[in-house]
Amino acid sequence: MNEASVHLESASFRYPGGKAGIFDVTFDIAPGELVVCIGPSGCGKTTLLKLIAGFLRLDSGRVRLGGEDVTAATVRSRECGIVFQSYALFPHMAVWENVAYPLRVRGIALAERRRRAAAMLEMVGLGALRDRLPAELSGGQQQRVALARALVFEPRALLLDEPLSALDAATRVTMRDEIRRIQKQQNIASLLITHDQDEALSLADRIAVLRDGRLVQVATPQEIYDRPADAFVAGFVGRANLIDGVAVGADAVDTPLGRLVTPPHGAPTGAGVRLLVRPEKVQPVEAAGGENVFATRILQDRFFGANREIELGVGEGSIKIETAARGAIAHVRVPRDAVQFLPTH
Amino acid sequence: MIPRWTTTLYLVYLAVPIVLLVVGSFGDLWLNTLLPSGATLKWYAAVAADPSFRRAFGASLFVAVMTCLACVAIGLPLAYAVFRARSPRVRALARVLYQLPVALPALVLAFGFILVFSSDTLPWLGSIWLLIAGHVVLCLPYFLQTVVADMQRLGLRTLEDAAESLGSSGLQRYAHIVLPALRHSILSGLIIVAALSIGEFQFSNLISGFLNRTFPVVLLQAFYGATGFACAATVLLLALALTASITGALSARGAGRLPPAGAPA
Repeated sequence: MNEASVHLESASFRYPGGKAGIFDVTFDIAPGELVVCIGPSGCGKTTLLKLIAGFLRLDSGRVRLGGEDVTAATVRSRECGIVFQSYALFPHMAVWENVAYPLRVRGIALAERRRRAAAMLEMVGLGALRDRLPAELSGGQQQRVALARALVFEPRALLLDEPLSALDAATRVTMRDEIRRIQKQQNIASLLITHDQDEALSLADRIAVLRDGRLVQVATPQEIYDRPADAFVAGFVGRANLIDGVAVGADAVDTPLGRLVTPPHGAPTGAGVRLLVRPEKVQPVEAAGGENVFATRILQDRFFGANREIELGVGEGSIKIETAARGAIAHVRVPRDAVQFLPTH
Repeated sequence: MIPRWTTTLYLVYLAVPIVLLVVGSFGDLWLNTLLPSGATLKWYAAVAADPSFRRAFGASLFVAVMTCLACVAIGLPLAYAVFRARSPRVRALARVLYQLPVALPALVLAFGFILVFSSDTLPWLGSIWLLIAGHVVLCLPYFLQTVVADMQRLGLRTLEDAAESLGSSGLQRYAHIVLPALRHSILSGLIIVAALSIGEFQFSNLISGFLNRTFPVVLLQAFYGATGFACAATVLLLALALTASITGALSARGAGRLPPAGAPA
């Protein structure tokens, strides 16, 4: 079967009386694929999830789930498993009853409900806690219950709304791996909403970057990082030096740092160009001289153990670098092939 | 040190009248002395034998139970409607409206009732149902406040959204999620309502008919008679209100221990 599990086609929705919404969004999620939707707050990523789940209806466009057009279908009939930001566990039901609830409303017999809930809880590693109340569990455990409950009825898609934002840093990393493992094991089309770039880069099969309700780029994490579609994506996913300059000749640009030798840019001399240089590609060097070597002064120096993130003053501008080097940094080299061109709009 | 002394003094100040009431209710003779002399149960026997007190006791219980039932029947859908209202302006307005009776002196309400219900078109003054209707107006704000606050605390809306996405119908959501999740606040709301209704005097004194006077109304008459009798009757009122609260609290705790909805019986 080659059909997408989740399919959005020219999906548009505007909140009544406002400017916010989703505009002409088209993308697919293949069976077993995990797409992470990322963007700044207010960009419409939760709206996107609500539109797929059916809590909101599209103004125009279509939603398909497992090949079926559900554009006009109710929340119930869409059968999406949703993990809410607050987990939304039913406080008066034991853990296993929470997990068995989708089976209960489907009229499945008690013995079968118990068995399937127990199997699901075993899979998320909570077999021993099935008789507890949600309030007696830690945040990470509640998260696992929510995941088990969202998967137990074999939904057509799994939707996760900022599932890790309420957890402490250590639990977040563990749960990130857990979500990934369970999602792959269940082989279910999944959409995860986040505003955390590390989460997006480490979890996703593909990342969808959303800005002001529009999709800017949908691609694999590596492609998003290495070939961002524009300055917004470059700045939002990963750290970036965005440098504006003026093209000179075939392969040089005048920038506030000084004249940079670049790969051939194809722009006429005097045209404005925008450059991207990732901080980890900038190299500290011992001595002056050579291509793209600049004298620097340290503006800010943050130490993270393995790496330092340093902001350096260069010429009339500044550049961020990420390096394992210790000690003073008097010169840096910007390798020619570390310079990328971004559209200037 | 000073806060502890203030607390102690305040507690003594609170307890002394109640203690004196209890002592007085068992005292045989109490004339111009600090404490009565002799112990007796005769005042309790006298209250129990008094037909107007027996009737008032029954009336108070009936009114309290009916007020509780009406508060659930009216208050629960109302609380839900206020909570689910889409527009924040509608929610704020509804909140002001349902809190209004708290600011309204019961006396004003009673005069209003007398004006309206002594007319020929609505000649219901003196009926126990009118009395109950008034108690509902006075008690409902407290019930609503308790339940709406709990709905917000629980994030009931998200719980319902979750249930809906898991395949639950509107009726199932109400029966499986809304009611069971709110059971504690419904019960504690009802305890407040029962205690308020049983102790209510201002309104009941003006509205209740001669045959369905509530306990506090009849109690006022007792203070024109023997002190011991009045004390015994007051202690009974206290016991009635306490019983209502404790029963409520116990059943709330019991409900917490009951197997949750859907568990095998």
